[in-house]
Amino acid sequence: MGRTADVAVIGGGVIGASIAYRLAKAGKKVVLCERYDLTAGATGACDQMVILQSKNPGIHLRLALDSAAMFQDLSRELDYPIEYFRHGGMITIENEMEMGVMTDFVARQKKIGLEVEIISRADAAKRQRGLADHLLGCTFSRQDGHVNPFKLTLGFAKAAKALGAEILIDAEVTGFKEEGGKIKGIKTAKGDVDAEVTVLAAGAWSPLVAAQVGLTLPIKPRRGQIIITEPGPPYVVGGILSAQYIVAKYHPETLRDAKSRGVQLGVGLALSQTAKGDILIGATREFVDYEVSNTREGIREILKNAARLMPGLKKMNVIRIMGGSRPYTPDGLPLIGFPKGREGLFLAAGHEGDGIALSAITGRIVADLLTEGKTYTDISPLDPNRFPLIAS
Amino acid sequence: MENADQEIIICRCEEISRRQILAAIADGATTIKGVKIRTEAGMGLCQGRTCRRLITQMLAQSGARPAAELYPPTSRPPVRTAQVGEYIREEDD
Repeated sequence: MGRTADVAVIGGGVIGASIAYRLAKAGKKVVLCERYDLTAGATGACDQMVILQSKNPGIHLRLALDSAAMFQDLSRELDYPIEYFRHGGMITIENEMEMGVMTDFVARQKKIGLEVEIISRADAAKRQRGLADHLLGCTFSRQDGHVNPFKLTLGFAKAAKALGAEILIDAEVTGFKEEGGKIKGIKTAKGDVDAEVTVLAAGAWSPLVAAQVGLTLPIKPRRGQIIITEPGPPYVVGGILSAQYIVAKYHPETLRDAKSRGVQLGVGLALSQTAKGDILIGATREFVDYEVSNTREGIREILKNAARLMPGLKKMNVIRIMGGSRPYTPDGLPLIGFPKGREGLFLAAGHEGDGIALSAITGRIVADLLTEGKTYTDISPLDPNRFPLIAS
Repeated sequence: MENADQEIIICRCEEISRRQILAAIADGATTIKGVKIRTEAGMGLCQGRTCRRLITQMLAQSGARPAAELYPPTSRPPVRTAQVGEYIREEDD
């Protein structure tokens, strides 16, 4: 059974669903194809944060700020409760080295327009109980928040459907349709979809799909393991990261000789509490191909790290542990745009740990580019052609 | 009370009714995980140990997928709840 669309979207995670919604809203006929089900990949195994403070000052932070602004009104716009809350966020600082990195980071973020400051441990303790005594202080931004990733994705998908989009689940892409050197749609387990443009938004799995048309994407799966506690009364206020995470992300050279197993597994604190009361404790950042299982070592290192920064967590009961493949890129920025030499294909993948936070703005940018040929801001740093995509 | 059987609680931890699960199946869920993401059934304290079989049955009856092809839900640790502190102490054993 064949279908015809203006745009075929590959991937039913938060990015694909957001793109499908914005395109449908702009009047495009959209068919979204998902291999398993909505949220089956990294979206369904992530930490729910819409945290701005972790973003590198520059395009990364600017897009996150614009995305966060869109989240504020999104429940009403989608007519679906996405559970977006702005309870603020903190980054814990443990030593002088981290204080130096964060002082510089915060100063540059302020210039971009983020409301962020460094507060003393005493002031941090007024916001959050259970913090470790040894902390030097924390950064704080009231603009940080979190959202329910399942509800966000389902909300985008439902709203897209209401606008005429079709969502096909169990619809693995088996090949592309090509005509006169141009990509004209996809073949899937649920039939062919003829489309003027095909958007590849399959996160960490995008390289496997792109390989079918001879493209080599620089995206690699990076496992994040996350621990979930039983629901309890409010305990964790907003989102809490550790400066280790920022240092590891933007100054990896400082960790090169690290002997600690936790550091080698990329462990950095990512802590928040859901609307229902479960506390999410993350996370590792490990290159283990597409493996999403949990390891005793990973679990132990995450919990050791979390309990060191917040001893109050030791009494919490763990009910589940999960793992997901985040789409890593070498420069930490997603690939958004048309790859040269493959007319009819558009890439929107590689958000690593920022997929939830950047989902809203990614949908807008992709819809803008595919309907009007331009968007509201300079996104040339996201151009996929910054990497060699076709093996020479 | 003709719809009483629709209000039977299937997932006791999250208090998800038969009606809500049937709605998730109507929305396109063809797996236990599909029902879980749409309703939160199975996300509670017992992690689906009670409702898993009932939901499997409802999925099979819906004809969305033959029972033999229903993917089992992903098994994740822990088998029983344990305190964060216990995981850390394990190292000193």
